[in-house]
Amino acid sequence: MVNYEILAHEEVAADAKYIVLAGKIAAVPGQFLQVRISETNDPLLRRPLSVHDCHENSFSLLYRIAGRGTAMLAQKKTGDNLNILGPLGKGFPHTTLPTALLVAGGIGVAPLFYLARCLAEKGKKVVFLFGARQAEALYRRRELAEIVSELHLATDNGSTGLHGPVTELLESFWEYQVKFEIYACGPALMLQEISRLAAGHDRDVHVSLETQLACGVGACLGCVVADRTQPGKYFRVCSEGPVFNSKVVF
Amino acid sequence: MSKPDLNVNIGKMKLKNPVMPASGCFGYGEEYASYFDLSRLGAIVVKGTTREPWPGNLPPRLAETSAGLLNAIGLQNPGAVEALAKIRTLAHYGVPVILNVAGHSADDYCEVIKFFAEEKAVEAFELNVSCPNLTAGGMAFGTDPEIVYRLTSRAKQLTDKTLIVKLSPNVTDIAAVALAAERGGADAVSLINTLLGMAIDISKKEPVLANVTGGLSGPAVKPVALRMVWQVSAAVDIPVIGMGGICCAADALEFILAGASAVAIGTALFTNPLTCLQAIDGITAYLEENVVATVKEIVGLARKNQAQKREENQCGKS
Repeated sequence: MVNYEILAHEEVAADAKYIVLAGKIAAVPGQFLQVRISETNDPLLRRPLSVHDCHENSFSLLYRIAGRGTAMLAQKKTGDNLNILGPLGKGFPHTTLPTALLVAGGIGVAPLFYLARCLAEKGKKVVFLFGARQAEALYRRRELAEIVSELHLATDNGSTGLHGPVTELLESFWEYQVKFEIYACGPALMLQEISRLAAGHDRDVHVSLETQLACGVGACLGCVVADRTQPGKYFRVCSEGPVFNSKVVF
Repeated sequence: MSKPDLNVNIGKMKLKNPVMPASGCFGYGEEYASYFDLSRLGAIVVKGTTREPWPGNLPPRLAETSAGLLNAIGLQNPGAVEALAKIRTLAHYGVPVILNVAGHSADDYCEVIKFFAEEKAVEAFELNVSCPNLTAGGMAFGTDPEIVYRLTSRAKQLTDKTLIVKLSPNVTDIAAVALAAERGGADAVSLINTLLGMAIDISKKEPVLANVTGGLSGPAVKPVALRMVWQVSAAVDIPVIGMGGICCAADALEFILAGASAVAIGTALFTNPLTCLQAIDGITAYLEENVVATVKEIVGLARKNQAQKREENQCGKS
């Protein structure tokens, strides 16, 4: 548990904020932080937020204001401190392939942004498919465009990019002649659909899951998801995830 | 003045301080070993363990409430064999390990005790007759004094180790259940387990927890837990381990002053993994400030003070 000073805290959409913290953390893409919202007992639990980006002396978080805890977090000001436990969990696995396909739905961009930058810095070709309900929820897409090789957008209401689900953007890539790694983060239904489509082409997807957490360190067994390969077995999302091979969780 | 003496005895166990993690919130210790030095704990209380592995309940298993947390884990655990391997790795901390024992039937509990009876790695058993997330065993046992008496007696015959009975708050008269445990041969009672509760998701229009109901813990339950520790410690002669919403040294001291010989910290660990250590340090500082040599001297002190006050008031009236 360390306190980090807030260097910047900006609105990126009406329902999402971007926060930059001073300090160094040894996080790999896909790991998360347990952020303490209040010094009081309410809200009681920390909020798990993905590492959105990480630099030498600072790191950032991108979050959607989804409830009371994140609404309280949104009130924090530059110069305030945030108490953080982590980095926690296992991140996205490395790839030996030269190309990576990243698929984000809405706030699912949060951990994939850091992954995209790390992969790009390693010289990989990063193709990023980004879908959301409307253009405004394609959070930080301009910054993303600067780091990826290709950015393809989709919105449910057609306000930007393809008019339809992000999974439709995937279609053209199955015929791709080069092998590529697939990483995804977004709503459970989107991940499920990507996993289903990928399985149809005999492909795996590294999916980052979101569930309610309590301890964040693997002790309480509150955040589990079923292991589809072993009936009656569960994975702890916080410590055995949050990134899983789609075949074992969907 | 020398450092205050924090030693307490629970049955045959000698604890160097009265603070331990609560079962179910601490796994088998390994998850928190990288956050603090486990050797500083008074005892380590490990996850509720059954003879065979239990899968636990379907998710969602958690619902946060105002200053509280509902859980319906359903005692997911790897079973006695794997649990033993994990517990053995704790030996080098030199801290007594208390094994929380669970099952669906009296025989289930006895099987676990038999399995660990000769194991040096375990110093005490805590009979979990209070888990609210089971259809059989757990709380179904702990709400009936006669069943608690019979199960405690049976367990007592199987082991010389310290036997603790963990009580459910979901009863009208918790002292009656505590007395049944004492009569059955328990060396101590621990309380409270979680309070039965539930939450509903108004957008989905269905219960949040897959199990529908769950156990409420955290600061929200502290006044209830404290009241029950007060009542039970008045009723029994065996030590009481108090728990329920303890988040800091001041909370722990309330339980000790109410009559708890030791305290356990659970849900607070999720927010602050260092809560146990901070409580130990805070209790030490409190004893120093109040010029008290041993923590034992303040166990139940609030009751003694209250009794004295009542006596004085009565003298004043007559």
